[in-house]
Amino acid sequence: MKYRNKPELQDRLAAEYVLGTLRGRARARFEGWLREDAVLRRAVAEWEARLGPLTEAVAPIAPPQRVWQAIESRLDGSAAPAPRASFWESLAFWRATGLIASGMAAALLVTVATQKPQVVEVPVVRSVEVPVPSTSMQPSYVSMLRDEAGNVVFIAYAARQSDELWIKKVGMDEPGEGKHYHLWGLTMKPGEPPQSLGVIPPGEKATIKLAAVADKSLADFPALALSLEPMPPVPRSEPVGPVVAKGDCQKFW
Amino acid sequence: MDPHKNKELADLLAACGRRDRAAFARLYQATSAQLFGVAIRMLRREDLAEEILQECYVSIWNNAAGYTAALSAPMTWMTSIVRNRCLDSLRRPNMEVVLSGRDADEAEDPLAAMPSDAPGPLAQLQSASDARALARCLAALEPKMRQAIALAFFDGLSHSELAAHMRQPLGTVKTWVRRGLERLRACLGGD
Repeated sequence: MKYRNKPELQDRLAAEYVLGTLRGRARARFEGWLREDAVLRRAVAEWEARLGPLTEAVAPIAPPQRVWQAIESRLDGSAAPAPRASFWESLAFWRATGLIASGMAAALLVTVATQKPQVVEVPVVRSVEVPVPSTSMQPSYVSMLRDEAGNVVFIAYAARQSDELWIKKVGMDEPGEGKHYHLWGLTMKPGEPPQSLGVIPPGEKATIKLAAVADKSLADFPALALSLEPMPPVPRSEPVGPVVAKGDCQKFW
Repeated sequence: MDPHKNKELADLLAACGRRDRAAFARLYQATSAQLFGVAIRMLRREDLAEEILQECYVSIWNNAAGYTAALSAPMTWMTSIVRNRCLDSLRRPNMEVVLSGRDADEAEDPLAAMPSDAPGPLAQLQSASDARALARCLAALEPKMRQAIALAFFDGLSHSELAAHMRQPLGTVKTWVRRGLERLRACLGGD
């Protein structure tokens, strides 16, 4: 093997393996060498010891109780998959990790309570996945909404000084006869219901008019949600249909 | 991490190796928040971080008997399991790099802050006695090298993601990472 008898190369590979920049096939190949090379394993252990203290700079976050329950259930030799988090557990998780104010829960409870029995489970996915910014992007708000399966199905974007919200459906079904999609801003403040941002027109892409420029009309909403509402598309004070997707709304710049 | 805590965790791991479930529960209590923090920081998704934390603790339980205290400290060993699993997951083609919504200085150069009364990341590092040397050596690096190393380590960025994020040619970023690591090694007395 090429790396053998090249201590400098060995050490460099071990360092980048531990740092995480050794990726893909190179990483897999390196792991193969590790299994049969004690010298290489030692180099990795040394780098783990060198860089390991860095993890102490990462803020600890207590995992939700269900993680432990799922682990315990797998120790008995039963390889049963972890129970899927229910909608309610998801809300509890949000509260437990402090990622959501009780207003969000209240807002969603209203939604659920008013549209039984078509409750959809919406697992919590807090990420806002946004490509690495390019210099040409304007100051903006971006929101990517995910469906119950965790797939991004809806993207919304607005420049901070514009009252136009650009939206795109990503492989989303049209709402169907007698229904329409409605976009809501969630304030995450206790007792505050979701605020209507507007009716989503049919078609893959569209723009909807915000009540004010995004810096005023979107700044208060850490998250957006999309619900499926009955026709006709009248202005509503809160959703009556099920939430079909939701996601964080982030100020990009 | 102080030697007392190290010893305690090593004892718990040894007990796990003997299939002691109570010891495993204590080990989880003592370490899961730190490891969950690491996973969330790298993956940026709680749901995935939970899944991976589960897998890792099951793996820790199954492999506890093979843990060798002589080779690495218990927390180092467990952190490596989590980091490796996260890196595998980041390799999935559908994972996107997410670096938004954070204060740029803190996110990308957590070690740039000078020590102060406020318990910033560097101060936190310095509070751990065995981390002082690392903090000192990181502080001695050129800021770009330190930033590249921090982004790779904490956020799991690959070379090409680093290049895109730092808006530098791939070769430049690779050089920063390589030189940064070499200097760290020399500074920490690697030879």
